Amino acid sequence: MKEKLVTAQPWIGLLARLVLGGVLLVAGYLKVIAPDKSQMAVRSYEMLPNSIANLLGLVLPFLEIAIGVLLVLGALTKVMAALGGLTMVIFIIAISQAWARGLNIDCGCFGGGGAVAPGQTKYLQEILRDTGLALLAGYLIRYPVTKFSVDKKPIKSISEKEVA
Amino acid sequence: MAQGKNPAGGKDNFTRNLVIAVVVGVVLIMLVPTVLSKKTNTDAATPSSVSVADGYGMVFNGDVKDVPFIEIYEDFQCPACQRFESISGEYIEDLINTKQAKVSFHVLSFLGAESQLAANAAGCAADQGKFLPFHKLLYGNQPPENSGAWTPSYFTTLSLGLGISDKAYDKCIANNEYKDWVVNVANEGAKRNINSTPTVFINGKEIDRNKAYNSLAEFMLAVKNG
Repeated sequence: MKEKLVTAQPWIGLLARLVLGGVLLVAGYLKVIAPDKSQMAVRSYEMLPNSIANLLGLVLPFLEIAIGVLLVLGALTKVMAALGGLTMVIFIIAISQAWARGLNIDCGCFGGGGAVAPGQTKYLQEILRDTGLALLAGYLIRYPVTKFSVDKKPIKSISEKEVA
Repeated sequence: MAQGKNPAGGKDNFTRNLVIAVVVGVVLIMLVPTVLSKKTNTDAATPSSVSVADGYGMVFNGDVKDVPFIEIYEDFQCPACQRFESISGEYIEDLINTKQAKVSFHVLSFLGAESQLAANAAGCAADQGKFLPFHKLLYGNQPPENSGAWTPSYFTTLSLGLGISDKAYDKCIANNEYKDWVVNVANEGAKRNINSTPTVFINGKEIDRNKAYNSLAEFMLAVKNG
C-alpha cells in the first residue's frame, strides 16, 4: 500500500501541477485581454487605494500567467507552488472580506468582476474553489517531485540510483 | 537527463535559468506594451465638445450655469447601459436640448475591443455634431458582447441613417483616430473608481443604485432634487 502511494505520488503531483498551473494560466489570460475590467475587479474589493488597485489590476494577470506556465512546465515547482498558493490565500482573504463587509461583487477571478446585483454573489463557491487550489499548492510544496517536470530529480534519489 | 553532465548531482541551473529567462522575457514583452498602452496621453487628439477638465467626457451645455450636472459612465456594449438609455435617454436628451442640465458622457471600453471601436466611433460622430443620435442608435443596435458585429464598416454604414456621409468621418473610424482619447476616458474612469456601468452622478453624487437606474420617475426626481 505504502509503495503504491510512493509510485502514485509523482503522478498526483503532475495532476496538481497541471490543474493549478492551468487554472492560473487561463485566469491570467482572460484578464490580460481585458485590462480595464481587471483593474475594475481589483478596485471593487475596496481594499487598496485606487492607484495601487489599478496597478495591481494590470500586473497581477501577468504574474498569474508566469506562475501558471512555470507550474505546467514543472520548473521550480516548489517555489511556484508556494507563490501560487500564496496568491490563492490572498484571494481567499480578499473574497472573505468582501463577503463580510456585504459588498456585492464578482471575484473577477476569470476576467469579469466589479459590482453585481445583490443576491448575484457567489462568495462561497469562489472561496471553496480557491481553497481547493491552495490545497493542491500545499501538496506540491510537500511533494515537489513530479512526473514530466523540468526540475531535476533531487540529489538524494540520484545518489541512491548511483549506489544501486 | 542532465545527470551525466552534472555528476555532483547539483542544481540543474541551465534548464532552470532557461525557463525563467523565457517566462520573464515573455511577460516583459507582454506586460510592458500593456502598461504603456494604458498610459494617459495628454497630447491625444480629442473629439469636439470633449472637456479635459471633466475627465475627458463628452460635455453638453458646459457653459450653462445653475443647472444640475449629470455625469454618465457607460459602455456601449453593456446591456444595463442599454436599459438605462431606453428608460431615461430621451429625458436626458430633452434636458440637453432645453439647456436644463449640463451633461457629460464618459464612454468606457472595459468590455473589450468592440467597446473601444464604438467609443472611438462616437467620438468621430461628435465631430459631425451627431453624438447624441449616434449614442441612441448604437444602443438600439446593441449586439451580444464582442460577437464581432461591431466593425468600422458597420459603424459607417449605420451612420448613413443619421445622414453622415463624409470621407473624414469614415477615415476617423477606420483609423481609430481617437484611440488615445478612449484610453484617457478609461483612465479617468478608473481614477474615479467607476466599478460598474452605467454609473451616473448628479452634481457629483451617485444616484441610488436600487432605484434611479431602472425608473424614469425616480431618475427625474433625482435630477430635480439635484
